[in-house]
This record gives sequence, C-alpha cells and structure tokens, in this order.
Amino acid sequence: MMTQGLNAFVIGMLLFLVASGLTLIFGVLKVVNFTHGSLYMMGAYLAYYIYGITDSYVLAVIIASAGIAVFGVFLERIFFRRLYQSNFLMQLLMCYGWILVLDDLVQLMFGAEFQSMGMPSFFATAPLMIAGAPIPLFYIFLIGISFLVALAVWMLIVKTSFGSKVRAAATNTSMTGALGINTSLLYAGVFALGAGLAGLAGALAAPVRSLVPGMGFSILIESFIVTVIGGMGSIGGALVAAILIGVCRSFGSVGFPMFTEIGVFALMAVVLVLRPDGLFGKGAQR
Amino acid sequence: MNNRLLSSTSLWVIVAFIIVAGLPSVIASQMVLDLIIHIAIFGLFAISVNLLIGYTGLISFGHAMFYASGAYAFGLLMQTGMWSIPAAMAMAVLSSALLALIVGLICTKTKEIYFTFLTLAIQMMFYSTILSWQTLTGGDQGLTGGFKKPIFLGIDLANTHHVYYFIAGVVIVSLGLLWHITKSPFGYALRMVRDNAARVEFLGMNVRGYRVAAFVIAAAFASVAGVLMSLYVSAAYPNFGYWTMSGEAIFMIMLGGVNTFLGPLVGATMLTLLNHYVTAHTKYYGLVLGTIILLYVLLLRKGLLDIVVERFIAFRLGRTKPAQLVKFDNPVESRLP
Amino acid sequence: MTKISLKRRRILGAAASLGVAGASLGFPSILRAQTAQTIKIGIPTIMSGRIAQLGISSTNGAQLEVDAFNAAGGFNGQMVELLIRDSKGKPEESSRLTRDLINSDKCNFILDCDASNGAFAVHEVVRGTGTLCIHASPEISTLTADPKMKIPNAFRTARQGAQDAIVAGQYAAEVAKQNNFTKWMTIGPDYAYGRDTTALFVRYLKHFSPSAQIVGEAWPKMSQPDYTEFITKIMQEKPQAIFTCLIGGDLVSFIDQGNLYGLFNEIEVFAVALADFTTISKVKAMPKRVHSGTRYLSAFPNTQANKAWANAYSAKFKDSPTNWSWQAASGMDFMLEAIRQTKSVDSKKMSDALRGMQIKSPFGSKGMLTLRASDQTLVDYATGWGRISNKLPFIENAKMADWGVITDLELKWKKENGWA
Repeated sequence: MMTQGLNAFVIGMLLFLVASGLTLIFGVLKVVNFTHGSLYMMGAYLAYYIYGITDSYVLAVIIASAGIAVFGVFLERIFFRRLYQSNFLMQLLMCYGWILVLDDLVQLMFGAEFQSMGMPSFFATAPLMIAGAPIPLFYIFLIGISFLVALAVWMLIVKTSFGSKVRAAATNTSMTGALGINTSLLYAGVFALGAGLAGLAGALAAPVRSLVPGMGFSILIESFIVTVIGGMGSIGGALVAAILIGVCRSFGSVGFPMFTEIGVFALMAVVLVLRPDGLFGKGAQR
Repeated sequence: MNNRLLSSTSLWVIVAFIIVAGLPSVIASQMVLDLIIHIAIFGLFAISVNLLIGYTGLISFGHAMFYASGAYAFGLLMQTGMWSIPAAMAMAVLSSALLALIVGLICTKTKEIYFTFLTLAIQMMFYSTILSWQTLTGGDQGLTGGFKKPIFLGIDLANTHHVYYFIAGVVIVSLGLLWHITKSPFGYALRMVRDNAARVEFLGMNVRGYRVAAFVIAAAFASVAGVLMSLYVSAAYPNFGYWTMSGEAIFMIMLGGVNTFLGPLVGATMLTLLNHYVTAHTKYYGLVLGTIILLYVLLLRKGLLDIVVERFIAFRLGRTKPAQLVKFDNPVESRLP
Repeated sequence: MTKISLKRRRILGAAASLGVAGASLGFPSILRAQTAQTIKIGIPTIMSGRIAQLGISSTNGAQLEVDAFNAAGGFNGQMVELLIRDSKGKPEESSRLTRDLINSDKCNFILDCDASNGAFAVHEVVRGTGTLCIHASPEISTLTADPKMKIPNAFRTARQGAQDAIVAGQYAAEVAKQNNFTKWMTIGPDYAYGRDTTALFVRYLKHFSPSAQIVGEAWPKMSQPDYTEFITKIMQEKPQAIFTCLIGGDLVSFIDQGNLYGLFNEIEVFAVALADFTTISKVKAMPKRVHSGTRYLSAFPNTQANKAWANAYSAKFKDSPTNWSWQAASGMDFMLEAIRQTKSVDSKKMSDALRGMQIKSPFGSKGMLTLRASDQTLVDYATGWGRISNKLPFIENAKMADWGVITDLELKWKKENGWA
C-alpha cells in the first residue's frame, strides 16, 4: 500500500512537471499549445547536448530551460501572436506544422536513433527508504523541483504585480490594454515561461527517459489529460489531477493492467461531462 | 424547391461519376487510380467531419473513432464469411451511427473547446479498447488475414478496376447525399445553430437535437469512408481510430477550405499528393510539409478552395463591397473559439 | 590489404550513392526511361518518427549488399537499384506504397522492411500481384507459421519469435538451474509482439525447467515514458529473475529507471533484445547480471567474415549495424543469389529457387543460411544467448543455439496449433 501511495505521488509529480507549462499558457493566453510536447523534446535534447559538453547537469538544466524559453519568445512573436484573433483550428494547424518541423530538425541534428544521457553521478545512489517503501534520490529531487515550480508559478500569478496584470489580461484583454499595460509584452512573457517549463521538464526527465525524435508525442496526450481534469488554466488543479492519475496508474497496474489506459481517458470524459471546467476550474468563464 | 435540388444533385452525381469513370481509359496508370481512391476516401472522411466543423460549428477531434468503427465492423463481418458486401456495409454504417448516437448525446452536453476535448477523450477510450481487445480486433496488428469478397450485382471486388469504380461510386453518391443535406432546410438550420444558438433556441427549435443529428450523420458518412478503406486494404488497423487521424481530417479541411462544400476534398488532394511526391524524394517529409503549413498559416490563412471561390465571387460582382461579402460568407472564422 | 579493399569499397559506394542521388533529383519519368535496364527492388519501411532507425539500418544493410553486387558487374550488366518508401508506420500507407512500387515504379521485387503490422499489409498486396517479396523485419511467428498466411512468392529472412523463444527458454532454464532460482517475472510491451514473445518464452522456460514459476507479469504500453509502477511492482513480488522483451529506447529507459530503484541488485535480468549495438551502447550503467539474446554483434558469430561485414558497414555509414541490418542484408543476399541461379528476374522462377535455398553468409550459425522450404522462413541463422558486459564485445561466452533442438520444438508447437 505504502509503495503504491508513494508511487502515485512520484508518477503524479513528474506528470505535473510536464503539464504545468501547458496549463499556464492556456490559462492566460487561451491558446492550446500543441507544440508543448515538441518543446519538451527540445529541452531534453538541449540538456543532453550541454551535458555532453560540460558534464554539468545543473548547467544543462539551466541552459535548456532558458534556451527553450527564448525559443518560446520567438514562437510567440513570429507565429502565435498573429493567431490570437484567429480560430482554434488555425492555431492547431500552425502547431502541427511546428511539430513536424521540430521532429525532423532533431532527427537531422542528433540522428534517428534514440539517445541516452545517463544519470549524473551525484544521483547514482541506492534509493532511500520511506516507511518501508523505496524512493530514488533523483525522484525526490524532481518532486522538490515540481513543488517549487507549482509554488513559484502560483506566487507569481497571485502575489506579484506581473501576476495581477496577467490575471487582468486573462479576464479582459482590451480593458487591460486600455489601462496602458503592455499586454503584448505580457503575453510574450507568459509564453516564454510556459515554454521554459516544458524545456525544464524535458531537461529534468532526460537522465531517465531515452531521447528520440517524436518523444514529445506521448507527453502531449498525458499533459492534455492532466490539464483537462485539473481545470484548464489552474496550476493547483493540474497538481491534484496529476496525482489522481498517478493513483490510477499506480493501483491500476496491480489490479487491472489492461484497463488503466481506458480508465484514465474515462476519468477525463467523466470530468468533462460533469464539470467541464475541470475539478478546479473557475466555473463558467464565458 | 426540394425536387429541383434533388434533380440537380442527381445530375451532378451522374456527371461526376462519368468523369471519374472515364479517367482509367485516359490514364493507364494504376498509381493514379490508387491515388484517386485514397483522395476519395480521405475526402469523404474530411467532408463528413466538416459537416460538424464548418456547418454546425462543433469542432470534433474524435471523428476518426467512427472511421475506425466502420472499418472494424465491416472487416469483422466480412471475416465471418457469412455476409454479403452490401449487407456488411449497411450493418457497419448502421452500428457506427448507433454508436455515434450514444457518443453524440454525451458529447453535446458540453460546448466549444470542452466538446473538442470530450470527443478526443472518448475516441482515445475507443482506441485503447481496440488495442486491448486482442482476441476480437487483433490488437496493434489489426484485423489481418484478409477476407473473401463475394461477387454481388456483377461487381467483383477482387478485380482492381471494379474496386476503383465501386469506391469512386460510393464516395460520389455519399457526397451527393451530404450536399443534399447541407442544402436542405435541415442544413440551413445547422448553420443557424452555428451562428446563433441562442436565437435558434428562442425560435423554439431544439439546438441539442440538431447537434446530435449532425453528429450522427457526420459519423455515418465517416464510417462509410472507413468501410471503403477496409474494403480497399482488406484489413483494419488501430491507427484508423487514433487522434492523429482526426487531426489529419482537420488539416485537410483547413488547407482546402471550411466554407466550401468541396474544400476538404481539395485539402485531401493536396495532402495526398504532397505525401506521395515528397516521400518519394526525401526522408525529411515532415520538414517539407511542416514548412509548407507554416508558410500557409503566415501568408494565406484560408483554405485554397475558399480563396478561389471568394475571388471568383468578388470578380463576378465587380468590386461592390467585397469585404462585406467575405464577412457574410465567412462566419465560421469569427465564430469558432 | 583490407585497408585498400575497404577504400575501394567506399569509393565505389560513394560513386553509387552519387549516381542514385543524381538520378533521383531528376524527374521520375525521365528516371524511369533511363533506367529501364536496372533491376528495381522496392523497400517499404519506416524512415521517420520514433522507429526511423528501423528503416535507416535496414536499408543500409540492403544497400551494402547491392553495392557489392553492382560492383561485381550486376546481372548481365544490369544494375540493381533500391527504391525506398516511408510508410510512417501506417499499414494502409504500406499497402498503397507497395502497390505503387510494383505498379508504377515497376519494381521487380519487394524487400519488406516494415514493422510487423505493415508487413501483413504488404503481404496482402503481394498475395494479389504475385511479386517476389522477402519480409526482412517482422518477427511475428504467425506470418510464416500459420499456413493460412502462406503464399508461394513471400519469404521471411527475419528471426521468428517462436524460434527466439525456444533459444531463450533453454538458456534461461540452464542459468536458473545453476543458480537455483525458480521465481520469475515478465515485463513486456503490451502489444502483439510483446504478448507473443513473452507467452512463448514462458512456455519453453517451463519446458526446460519445470520448477520455474511465474510470480507476476507487467505490461507497459509501447513507448511509455515512465516505468515507475512496473518497477515497484516487480520489487514487491521479489522474483529471482525477470524476462523482458522490451526493445530499443524503451528497454534503456526501463534499465535506467530500474537502476534508480536498485531493482537489479538482487534480480537476474534476461533481456532478449539488449545485445544490439545501438541499444547496448546506450546503457550507461549496466546492471551486474544481465543476459541477452544476440541480436547483432560483430563478435557473434565470432568469425572473420562477420567482423569484416560489420567493419564495411561502419565504414560506409558511420554507424553500427543493427539486428535489422543483417536481416535486410540476408534478404537481399537471397534475392541476388536467386537472380544468379535462375539467370532471370522472374518472380515465379526465383521463388521456386528460393524454396530451400542455402547461401554462404556471415550471419549463419555454421556459415550458411537456409530458407526452409516448408514454411519459407529463415533458419540456421546465428542465434544464442550470453552474459552481457558493458564493454566491447559486450557479450561473454555467448552460446550458439542448437538448430536441431529449435526445429524439434518448433514443429511440436506448430502441431499443437494445428499448423503442421
């Protein structure tokens, strides 16, 4: 039981880390960022590349997150910005274009075969025992970072002036603009943050997941599930939803391994029917 | 009025069939016929999805589910060896429509992007079921082993030319039916639901009823496309029901045009030809297609056929307020979330 | 000596690839007219996405053999040309591309390097056209074991799941006897290949070691990024050994994540697909006691011919050959040998010649490969198991499997299924 509980937590926190950027961008910009998985992939590859040169995991993670954030600004300024007024389908099409391009670019640069980064020696130790259940040091580190991310994003949005502007922009863009706030810059900032989080997730996952062009694909669907169940745009909701899915998978693999997958999608469907705004959504926004 | 529509539709169907039927005698290439079959099937699928997206304003991201249900139902029935092709087709379409009725009733409880995500979730449940239920569906291998194609009404679907005529014929008749639906009072009611659901409700019409009806009709025609693909490859595969398949239909619609009936068919043609010629020359197909899509998003932002039709109308009317005309003809763009 | 010949090979290879590149840049119609004299072999495969490595390493393997054939003058001056098409992993695309390769590109033969679901689609196409087709990648047993699938013009030069399972079961049972372990668990990808391979392995493990018991199974889905729940499940059941048929990146992720939990401290691992250069070289921290089937290693079989082949491959493609490479190369060798023997490019004549054909090959268990006549599938290929180390040559004391044993048990299994 303890192991399963701890597992649910581990799985959930890793899921949250990956999904946080997606839900942030949706919450503020009302854009469904389908390139999220590709940004995650780029973060992983960038970290792999930097780690290969410098042999420093810290440096790799920092440069990867920052690099993807910068790339996010480029994406937002050149592409997404033109489509805020357009419909959802046009955004979707554009993201699809980027998914195709980025997958092939990664294949061109790093080859089609999968790569493995290896565990930084600091984390290569025996797992710790918590109440009789093992948990690797590296996962404690990831969980810590996930909490920090959740806390930092929440603080940023609730406590700072940047956050209040962001919230204002989320509720009423034109009014915020009329008040002399540069919403355009604000949007770029939020997009950079969301992209940076995707890059961070990719960089953090790189030591334990093999890298391959197209790896963003499975992450994308998982992130959507978390985002939708938690309430699109709600960081806290994403956290709870991610752990909920962790519980599903952790106990499902013991009880009904074949049906875990179906169960998770069923959960998503039930939430959408009963509470379309998700467990922690703000109710009817429109 | 309705009779005139019916006869004009029938006329178009006959003309289209004569043209398509004449092609093999002009072009002797089996490749071109194969490409036409693919375009016809994907085109029908995309147009059926567009009945929801373009005409009803419901963005479904889960329609491949019915493409797959049609393909699997047909394949499974044929593998029993006890069904004739038309009976299996009818049964496959009917069961898909029934499935769509249930799914539609659930999905239309939600709106806008939630509808999109709900259709996606249910589709993924369906897809996971196909993968898990290996004894019935063959899991990820798909329905393999092929099936016999008994001759009916003199049509022998083991013969490649008969396959071509049959698939082209079914697609054209289906498109005729869909065209007829979009031009019927029902079709105009769907447009009203799309443009102003509140007013429709106020007029005493049942908005949800219309949405469910559109959902079921679209699903039925999507399943026809699935049946045809299953017939063509003598099998059914799980990726027929994967979300990327729904995504592809949406890309065809976007590239070809949302606002014109045949737009998605144009999109299907573009994607199929691109796929065919680009993959023959480079393994970096994604890079080429992705770049084309990005250029399109930055520069055009409208389906090809939509642009052609708009230009044509603007040209015919001289320059009398083309902007207003475009706006009138283009309500989907502003309506979608 | 070898240096010179390698250089020559490389130059010839470069010249050939230049020629192909130059030709394919031109218009396809012109290409068709100019190369009417070439023998065309169409390859439907996967060149993009997660398993692009399949297409790349298979076509490289095939290309190497074709280059040698062309360099030696081809067939009556006719050169062989490969036409490669990316199915992107969609079986309906495989079906269309194969028809296209045969009907429009006028390919003489098909070398199918697609994943197994694509292979069934290709199989259906050549069933109709009668074109000679060699399946070089799919390992799924039913493709050739089930007589319902049999057609006279399709052969397989890939490993067969059932044969692999017999070898694995026998080896695992031996190791288990030496170390006295009986508690086993399996972890395999939840799709047909994984279920098939695992079930057969368990069957033969119990055949050779009746005391073995399976205390649990875990079925992650394919390309799952996170294996936490399965790893802890294994730890709870405390088996003495696990068998896994995870492949490629999935296997490496599983090992990396298992290491974090110290999963392999007490458990002996039997990973059928580990000993393939591109997989094994990616494992940064190899568990202490791991065993693997020999997928492809230049040290197995430990012969000059095999090493020379691996060196030629690496020199030409700046990459290591994979299991897929040798399978595609063997498929190509059989096809080319059939052209030589029959002095024709006629699918039917060649198929007749291929049934039961034996060729010399670096990949044979005794230097020879056989296309068994009864089910038209490859036998006598070098296969075995050994203990894995993380340095070249990666495997210690690899034991060559006995084809007599394999054939016996395979026949029994077929009879039980009503296939023989």
